[in-house]
Parts: sequence; structure tokens; C-alpha cells
Amino acid sequence: MNESWQLIWKIVLIFTLGGYSLLAVIVFIGGIRNIIDMLKDLGMPLESPEDKT
Amino acid sequence: MDVFATNFKTIDWIIVMVYICIPVAIGVWVKKYVRQLSDFIVAGRSLKLFIAIATLTGTELGLVTVMYNAELGFKHGFSAFHVGVIETVCILAIGLTGFIVYKLRALKIMTIPEFYEKRFNYKVRVVGGVILALGGILNMGLFLQAGARFMMGVTGYSNPAGLKLFMSVMLIMVLIYTVLGGMISVVLNDFLQFTVLSIGMIIGSFYAISKVGWSNLLKAPEAADSASWFNPVAEGSGFGAIYVLFMVVLTFSAGALWQSGTQRALAAKSPKVAKQLYAWSSVSYLARRVIPMLWGICAFIFVSQTPKLLSAFQGAGALNSQYGMPIFMAKALPSGLLGLIAAGMFAAFMSTHDSYLLSWSSVITQDIIAPVKKSPLSDKRRLLITRICIVSIGLFLLFWGLWFEAPVSLWNYMAVTGTIYLAGAFTVIVAGLYWKRASSTGALIALFAGLLAVLGIGPWTRGDNVPFYLSDKFIGLATFFVAFLGMVIGSLLFPDKPSHQSRTEIQEDNK
Repeated sequence: MNESWQLIWKIVLIFTLGGYSLLAVIVFIGGIRNIIDMLKDLGMPLESPEDKT
Repeated sequence: MDVFATNFKTIDWIIVMVYICIPVAIGVWVKKYVRQLSDFIVAGRSLKLFIAIATLTGTELGLVTVMYNAELGFKHGFSAFHVGVIETVCILAIGLTGFIVYKLRALKIMTIPEFYEKRFNYKVRVVGGVILALGGILNMGLFLQAGARFMMGVTGYSNPAGLKLFMSVMLIMVLIYTVLGGMISVVLNDFLQFTVLSIGMIIGSFYAISKVGWSNLLKAPEAADSASWFNPVAEGSGFGAIYVLFMVVLTFSAGALWQSGTQRALAAKSPKVAKQLYAWSSVSYLARRVIPMLWGICAFIFVSQTPKLLSAFQGAGALNSQYGMPIFMAKALPSGLLGLIAAGMFAAFMSTHDSYLLSWSSVITQDIIAPVKKSPLSDKRRLLITRICIVSIGLFLLFWGLWFEAPVSLWNYMAVTGTIYLAGAFTVIVAGLYWKRASSTGALIALFAGLLAVLGIGPWTRGDNVPFYLSDKFIGLATFFVAFLGMVIGSLLFPDKPSHQSRTEIQEDNK
């Protein structure tokens, strides 16, 4: 019984370390582009009520 | 070996000091982008996928998360991993189906109680806001204490006054940049912290494993029970079937509705991005549990191999088990890397703290003060109130953290205080979104039922020297059940008038 649990947790551990490393790289690259876009969006002038009409 | 011996040197202090100045600088810099309340609370709803993942991870992977998961690993071994696996499956299920989060984002609300008013009425919103703020603030009550214990363990600063000193300094740092920059500052810092923390966690894990050895890691240490070290439902594991069931309900509801996490979904660029955010983040939810638990396991193996350390954690006057992981890391990691990990953990502390402060203070402003005020509040006034709330909550945390000790474990404290809000909120929101007959009376009963979870932090949960014993996991699970029952019975016995305006709006929005 213990062997099965050991095997499951071993797989979970390896998957976590590998998967998270990969995710961190992807998010880092994609995140920088997203931040630039976000600051551009937030820097734009606000719509005035007249603009909406 | 001295218990508090550490490899933390001057260079590590320099790394930490330089690093903690960066968030404050970002807070000052982004203040110019905060022009309206939605910029402050949901970053103008401008978050794209990757930055949203980074900020969600940054928020949900705090120092307190690391501490309570490491404590679980230290006390229960690999069997604690089940909490991480359950949570990951729940988050992935939410991401794949869009359950709750898709519809909430589509409604363009800023806080969860805002939904209560849209779907039910003003009373439900105010009651929901009060309970959310109460549960949320109590939930973060031990963040400062856990963070300070980590810093003391890592730096080897064992003076009793250190706890107060570290708690005060950490609080001041967070307050400065959260008050200044709001959500935009939080998002940028979360990204920075996600990066530093990810590097620190991966490298730290390899060091921790190499210190105890891969073959030792996969064996139960002699000082632990070998069956319950791996099997979460084995007798003596400290978990059991009721605990596992409680974790399923808790992590699913928290995944969908924990205000600080849901706030990321509400700040997402679109409902589709909100859904994708959860699917992708399931991996980081797994990491936020498993990696600190791994550190805790390595710490216990290391401690059990060193008689002097083992005796420090046993018997009368034993050290709090939260110290296990930081004391181990202080000895396992070399100087320099230890500074980087400490900086990363400090970053994690700040990224969670800022988001939680922002979440609960915006709930108090938007859902309690603003609806109760007869005259409408301007954006400027709301911003001011939100900032005052942030500082007030911070002061409360300082006092609470100085005198309160978690009765069972830090995670159990987090789980039951989270249930105060989650039991009611999960029932009310699921019923509100997916059950036409859900009524405001049913919602109020469910929300009040959540308060039962307060019993879960009482002294009777300790199990020793008390006139009667009540397990905190049983209280937590029962609270969810009572809330659900309250919603169903209350709605069937006291239905709302069918012409309720807000309900029509929700149904229109959901089409």
C-alpha cells in the first residue's frame, strides 16, 4: 500500500518541479509583453461623456 | 548544532534590503496611472493572460502559503500532498468549465458582494460584505506572524523581540506601496515577485533535496510513522476521510471565490481570459502546495537526523513547528542563495499581503460603507476610504499576530477562517447564478450560517486539556452543509417577488 502512495507522490513531485519550471519561463516571456500593453492602455486619456455621444 | 545557526550573512542582508526597495519605488511610479477607482481596484480591467497568471500566482503563493504548507509537510510528510492535488484538480475544473468565474467576469463587477445586490438585494450585499471582510481579515490575521517567524528562522535572529520588530517593518513596507499604487502597483510587483520566487523555489528545491538525498527523501524517517507519512487516510496521519472531503469542498469554493484570487478574474481583459487564467494557473496552484511541502519534508528528515534539533521540536517548550522549514533552509542553502530565497519569500509575503489588504479594504468601501451612505460617494472619496481601511486593517493584523496562536496548525486556522466567508458565499453565488428560485432570505441564512466556522478556531479544537473536543475539520465541513441547507430551505419557504429587477439584469447579462 505504502509503495503505491510513494509512487504517486514521486510522480506528483517530478511533475510539479518540471511543469512549474516550464510555466515560469512561458509566463515571464508573455508577461513582459502584457505589461507593456497594459501600461499603454492605462496611459490613454479617459473617455469624456461627450465622446460617448 | 545550534538551533538558530544560519548561513545568512551580510551579503544576504544586502540582497534583501535592495530587493524590498523595488516594490516601494514601483508604488510611487505607478501612482500616476491611478485616475479612477477601477484603476485602483481592478487595474482598469486590463489584464491579459500571462500577466494575470503571474499576478494570480503572486497572490496565491505568499510567504504564509509557503509557511503553512511547509508546516504540513514537516508534520505529516508526503500525505500532505493530497491537499495540493485536490486543489489543482478543482482549479483545473474551474478553468476548463468556466464554472462561476466566467459568469462573474461577464457581469463586470468589482467585488463579490456587488453580485449579491445585482442578484438579490442591498441587504444581502451589506451582510455579505461584512462577513467577507470579517472572514478575510481574520484569515490574514496570522500572515505577519508567520512571515516574521520565517525571517527569524532564516536570519538566525532568535531574540524574542525579533517577532515584533520583523512584523512591524514588514507591515510598513507593504502599507506604503499598496496605499500608493493600488492594483496596478500590485500587478507589477506580483510579476516581479513571481519571477524571483519561481527562480528561488526551483533552485531551493534542488538544494533541499540534495541536502537530505533523493533516496532518504522517499523513505519515512524513523521519527515518523511510516504508514501515515505517505497515506492521508491512514490512522494517525492527522487527516482522514472527513478532512479530505473538507479539502475538496474548501479548495473548490476558495478556487472560484476567494476574493483576492477572484479579483484577478474580475480584472481580466475578458471572460474568456478569466477562464484560461484558471486552467493555466492550476500548475502554479500545485507548485504553491507541493514545493513548500517538499521543503517541510526535507526539513523534518534533516531535523530527525540531528538529535539536538529533534529535541528542540519535541516535549515541553518545543519550538513551533513553523520554524522547522526556515531553520533547515538557513543551514542547507549557501550564503547568497539564502539571501535570494529570503528576498523571494519576502516578496511573496508582500505580494499576498498587498492583494489581501486591497481586497478586504475595497469590500469595506464598496460593499459596506458606500451602500450604507445615503448620498453617493465620489471616486476620490472612495479611494481615500479604501486607503484608510488598508492602514486600519494593517494595524489590526499587527496586534492580532502578536497575541493569537493557531490552535492546531497554521493551515487549519486558514481553512476554518476562510470557511466563515466561503461557506455562505459559495452557496449564495452558485445558487444565485444557477438556480432561479434562490431567494434573498435563503441567501441571508446561508451567509449567517458561515459564521459557525468561527467555532473552528476555539480552544476546544486543540484536543487536550479541554472539557469537550470538537474537530476543526468537522466544524468546517458542517458549516458548508448548514449553509447549503439554509439556502435551499430559506429559498423554498420565503421566495422573492418574481418582479425583482436585479434578477432580470443578471439573466440578461448571462445570455
